Amino acid sequence: MQNKNLPRILLLVAIAVLLVLLPLYAGQYTITTFIRILYFGFLALSIGFLIGQGGMVSFTQTAFFGFTGYVIGLLGLERGLAFPLPELLGLAGVLLTALLLGMVAVRAYKIVFLMITLAFGQIFWAFAQQNTSLLHGWAGIRGIRPPVLLGIDFYNTANFYWGALVLFVLGLYLLWRITKSPFGLVLNGTRESPRRMAALGYPVYWIRVVAFLISAFYAGLGGILAAYNTGIITPTTIQLSRTIWVLLMVILGGASYFWGPVVGTIVVVWLDVLVSGITGRFNTIIGIIFVITVLFSPNGLLGLLDDIRRGEKFPKIRKFLFPKAASGE
Amino acid sequence: MDAKILIFILNGLTQAAILFVLGSGLTLAFGLMRVVNMAHGAFYLLGGYIGYSVVKATGNWPLAVIAGGLSIALLGFIFERFMLVRVRGGDLPETLLTVAISMIIADLAVVFWPPQPITLNVPASLNFPVQVLGITYPSFRFILMGISVLIAVSLYLILYKTKLGAAVRAGVDDRETVSALGVNIQVIYTVVFVLAALLAGFAGVLGGSYLQLSPGSDTTILTYSLVVIILGGMGSLLGTVVSSLILGQILSFGLAYAPQYSYFLIFIPMAIVLALRPQGLFGKQI
Repeated sequence: MQNKNLPRILLLVAIAVLLVLLPLYAGQYTITTFIRILYFGFLALSIGFLIGQGGMVSFTQTAFFGFTGYVIGLLGLERGLAFPLPELLGLAGVLLTALLLGMVAVRAYKIVFLMITLAFGQIFWAFAQQNTSLLHGWAGIRGIRPPVLLGIDFYNTANFYWGALVLFVLGLYLLWRITKSPFGLVLNGTRESPRRMAALGYPVYWIRVVAFLISAFYAGLGGILAAYNTGIITPTTIQLSRTIWVLLMVILGGASYFWGPVVGTIVVVWLDVLVSGITGRFNTIIGIIFVITVLFSPNGLLGLLDDIRRGEKFPKIRKFLFPKAASGE
Repeated sequence: MDAKILIFILNGLTQAAILFVLGSGLTLAFGLMRVVNMAHGAFYLLGGYIGYSVVKATGNWPLAVIAGGLSIALLGFIFERFMLVRVRGGDLPETLLTVAISMIIADLAVVFWPPQPITLNVPASLNFPVQVLGITYPSFRFILMGISVLIAVSLYLILYKTKLGAAVRAGVDDRETVSALGVNIQVIYTVVFVLAALLAGFAGVLGGSYLQLSPGSDTTILTYSLVVIILGGMGSLLGTVVSSLILGQILSFGLAYAPQYSYFLIFIPMAIVLALRPQGLFGKQI
């Protein structure tokens, strides 16, 4: 057993060391890209948790991501409130809004839930885009700066990266604990069979609401980092295509795997960097990858790895090419 | 009545006409197949763009409507037969596929059509001022309303007076039983999906002649269509009529009296209905 796990542990330690020491050997651009991975990672975790653990595909989470950004912009930058107040108020606002919306949305399941959350997400976008008096419409809010804490200036990219990394690792650990907790198991139960869980006496409705709240909190956290890092918050941050983009990260990595959203975020953000240099048709390429993933590997890259490990050579691709042979007709 | 108010009401009816054509196809496809075509907005956009090119080349507006509708119907057919059918039954994969297709369409449209907002040219023979109840109003908008009513009546006749319609309605209630009774449900699925695509294409040309087409309007239109069918009740034709009329007026009056919130306002009836009657005004519990 010891020997079997040793290479794995060494690999993980090596990755951890490389990640921590990144600012010492990588350029500014690489560090910024990793920061993007971290804040989109929060959003991907948020959406992935709801899909993977709760079976809920939500299109509202990106709005929560933008929500904290707008609160920081309005209270921190424009009203001059000092750190942690705008951040905490932003997160509290996210939780309160998520409670209200969640209580309406989780009554619906599957596609209906998806449609309702999409409409909710669009409410925020419509408001942000049309409201000029408070949110400045398309122009949004510019000039957001991360704070100086305990003598560390987080405006410095390396410092910010380390801070975001610590926050992300903490977030991952907490989400892991939630996923493996009794609550996580009960949530899995409501995903598989809400009716049976209700018959067993579990408050299915409130379990789903709480899952929605946890997910919204993660999206809000990511939004704080994003607003600090980019310095701006505009309606573009919360538009529908952004949600779809993050949804692709989750599906590409593998929504049913805990690490799926993280893997997907790393791949898609780097793909964005690589493809944007070559062609302006980034969305077309993303779309094609999306189609291929859904058709051939619905469990994403991690699902593909699992298949290969089990010795099944791309069963989905073979089934696609020879549908009759695969189903035994 | 105040002339201004009358114009707002007529604008609202024009808007409602487009919303109905948009929502009716989507609601039928959802009622039967339990698939939300997230590419509905992109289908609209592409249909509108194709119509734009046809009008630009020939100056023939009716031809543009037909071309826009039929080309999107063909696209819908290919998409349903060759892709959607392979993931049938898993509602998440089906929805994600339509999401991906909408991304690709919207992104590629920018290559072929101008990035700035465009509106279809309607020939003067269709668009002349008409005197009604003491005000002057463009005839073309009455034509839009007329086409929408025509589509509503046709859909009603197809659904309630034909064998195909009976199979579709039965399929909405109970897919398994209909299938067991010897109806080829796969064919019905394809027909309804293609019909929905056809309507989206029509809506694109109609809407593109009244509103603007631009990159990004696909998501706005998708949202409109979703709000229409959530409010009206998914799978209900009557619900789509009623919700289109309500939302059309809200959009029109909102634009006049609260331009900062006109888009935001359309969500209010949806939110109220969701809280009090989650299945929508005329929908069945699902």
